[in-house]
Amino acid sequence: MQRRDFVKAILAATAAAPAALAQQQAVPAATPPPPPTAPGPVPWMRGLMEAKQLPIGLLVADSLARPDARYLSDRQFATLRHLCEIFQPSSKGYPGALEAGTPEFLDFLISASPADRQHSFQSGLDRLDSEAQQHFSTAFASTSPQQADQLIRPWLRTWMSDHPPAEPYENFINLIHHDIRTATENSQAWSDAAHRAGKQTPNVDLYWYATDPDLHREGHSLPQIQNHAKA
Amino acid sequence: MADETVDVLIIGSGHSGGMAAKILTQKGISCLMLNAGPVADVPRDTAVKAAYELPYRGFKQPGQLPHVFQSNEFNANTWVDEKEVPYTHDPQKPYNWVRVRLFGGRSLFWSRASFRLSDYEFKAKTHDGYGDDWPISHADLAPYYARVEGIFRVQGELANLPQFPDGNFIPDTDPWCGSMQRFRASAAKRNIPISKQRTSLGLDGLASSVNLLLPDAFATGKLRAIPNVIVRSLTVDKSTGLVNEAHFVDRLTRREMSVKARVVVLAAGTLESTRLLLNSQLANSSGVMGHYLIDQIYGAGFACSVPEARNGRSTEQLMSGSAIIPRFRNISSRESKFLRGYALNVWSGTGGIEPRNFATYGAELQQKLETYHGSGFSTGIMGEVLARRENHVRISKDVVDAWGIPSLHIETNYTDNEFNMARDAVDTGMQIAEDAGFEILTKNYDPNPPGYSIHELGTCRMGDDPKSSVLNKWNQSHDLKNLFVIDGSSFVSAGWQNPTMTISALAMRAADYLAEQMRLGNV
Repeated sequence: MQRRDFVKAILAATAAAPAALAQQQAVPAATPPPPPTAPGPVPWMRGLMEAKQLPIGLLVADSLARPDARYLSDRQFATLRHLCEIFQPSSKGYPGALEAGTPEFLDFLISASPADRQHSFQSGLDRLDSEAQQHFSTAFASTSPQQADQLIRPWLRTWMSDHPPAEPYENFINLIHHDIRTATENSQAWSDAAHRAGKQTPNVDLYWYATDPDLHREGHSLPQIQNHAKA
Repeated sequence: MADETVDVLIIGSGHSGGMAAKILTQKGISCLMLNAGPVADVPRDTAVKAAYELPYRGFKQPGQLPHVFQSNEFNANTWVDEKEVPYTHDPQKPYNWVRVRLFGGRSLFWSRASFRLSDYEFKAKTHDGYGDDWPISHADLAPYYARVEGIFRVQGELANLPQFPDGNFIPDTDPWCGSMQRFRASAAKRNIPISKQRTSLGLDGLASSVNLLLPDAFATGKLRAIPNVIVRSLTVDKSTGLVNEAHFVDRLTRREMSVKARVVVLAAGTLESTRLLLNSQLANSSGVMGHYLIDQIYGAGFACSVPEARNGRSTEQLMSGSAIIPRFRNISSRESKFLRGYALNVWSGTGGIEPRNFATYGAELQQKLETYHGSGFSTGIMGEVLARRENHVRISKDVVDAWGIPSLHIETNYTDNEFNMARDAVDTGMQIAEDAGFEILTKNYDPNPPGYSIHELGTCRMGDDPKSSVLNKWNQSHDLKNLFVIDGSSFVSAGWQNPTMTISALAMRAADYLAEQMRLGNV
């Protein structure tokens, strides 16, 4: 409250006092509210500043919690799980893709992806399943490693960064392989395994927080002032 | 109400703006610098994290920064978000416009490759008949290159090649590693030269405006700066015909303000400077502004393995360091399939090899990764893109940024000259590698989309003729003598070289000239 407003409040209270007294003599005269405290260290702020860091540690939710929603269909998700088993099984003390929660993470990642990526991912899973039916009369999720290899290996390519294969199905097979490996090796389970082996967490880097994020939001209108360029 | 007229207004804080500020303030000239983004406070704004701690496990938020191939989840917040500052292009002709608005701009993340242009670039038309010569030669810029190299502490090896001018280098005395020696010997059989890389050492690995240039400018007491303000337009004093005012908007509050200036120095980065001038409808009597957008082709290359470094035998003596094959095509002979030339970056290391270099999976892939660990040897192209009038930018009036400023439409594409050059680079490099006994693992002939190199150049080209160029040889507007554009937009041809040394040398030269003209009372 500005000082001027504070004075106004006192004057208003003074003017109203006789009427109030006439109605209810027992009520003590109104007292103005105390001026607000200036910003600065108040007791609880001092407490916050002096509080010790809690030993929360580095635990991420998907290392122990189960997602409640799934984007892919049951059939697609089963295909994805089997691909994860095949592309990256556990090895030498390191978790496989299933232990790293990779199918659940990729389901989430695809759910948040642009439509063309969603289409590529889902149609690729559907085609893999369809080819398993066609060649082995079973769902891809139920194929043996040898059967799965016959379906996958012809499509594997080498490729350079930023240049995955252009043919859509080749693109799907090679990118999902890459994504399964990346999601697995970037998981907390993988990091824990590295520590158990006396090694450091891979893929540690300098993370940049948003610096002074812009205040622009959807629906936020610009000031309705003629600017000089328009004047 | 403040109504000051500043001596020199500098818009942009990267290498070119920083260099102008340093030179002008050290000559006693007061400058005000405006920058569109905030000042990075690294201890506050960053933290060391593991990928698993990030919301998307290091994949970055889907759909975010689709044109910034260099982005990842760790650095995503440092790039300009194209939803906030959009641009348009034909869907069939993508353009990767990679931008940073933090104070210091893209200089904060510069890879520090430090090369001079040669007269094969400055006088390219004279050499091969295509395009236009610059109005300056290497001899004009050489003294400024030398000063810039001193400030940036460029380390390099003298090569004595006319297409790869030597400079004021800190000698590179590191020995060549074994694999590089073999690659070099193989190239020599084809008369292809290989040199050590030329790199700015800067300070503590950073060669940015904020640690090499701006501290000197602030130390003079002559530089003031305002972050988080986006210049909307420049206007001209009708009585003098000179530019005299910049109108800007506060990034956070959207408050609109103006500042008067005697001289305006544009250093906002090639396309942002051109966008500002096009939006202001200034300095374009030639009609050339926005045209001749050029860059360099990146992305084509190959990866191979050095057999002797496999199975745990990799050592620093065998596998370390990098080198460069400077341009060797179209120097003393003439290629039939493309004009100009390219360089190849070459590097080796003792680390792991990317899994995508092997077409297998599971336990078999793991075995490959272990066997090949430490044997990787790779190359990548840096190739010249020809300057063509049809490759251009224009204002897209229907698309505005978060502050209502009209955006750019970018229209550019590569032609057979670039594609043939990329194919020649990959094939030639692979022949050298195979002759050296290396195993080719992966190759790619396709360049990344235009813009990827972050070396966008041209659109306000310099020249002697006001009818065919925007700037004169001093980076000064032909139309408005108190307007200078000192970033990469003045380039007439791109060359294959990382342009930072040339941009910085041109900025230094323009600032020297401007200071003298101000002293003489001509500006």
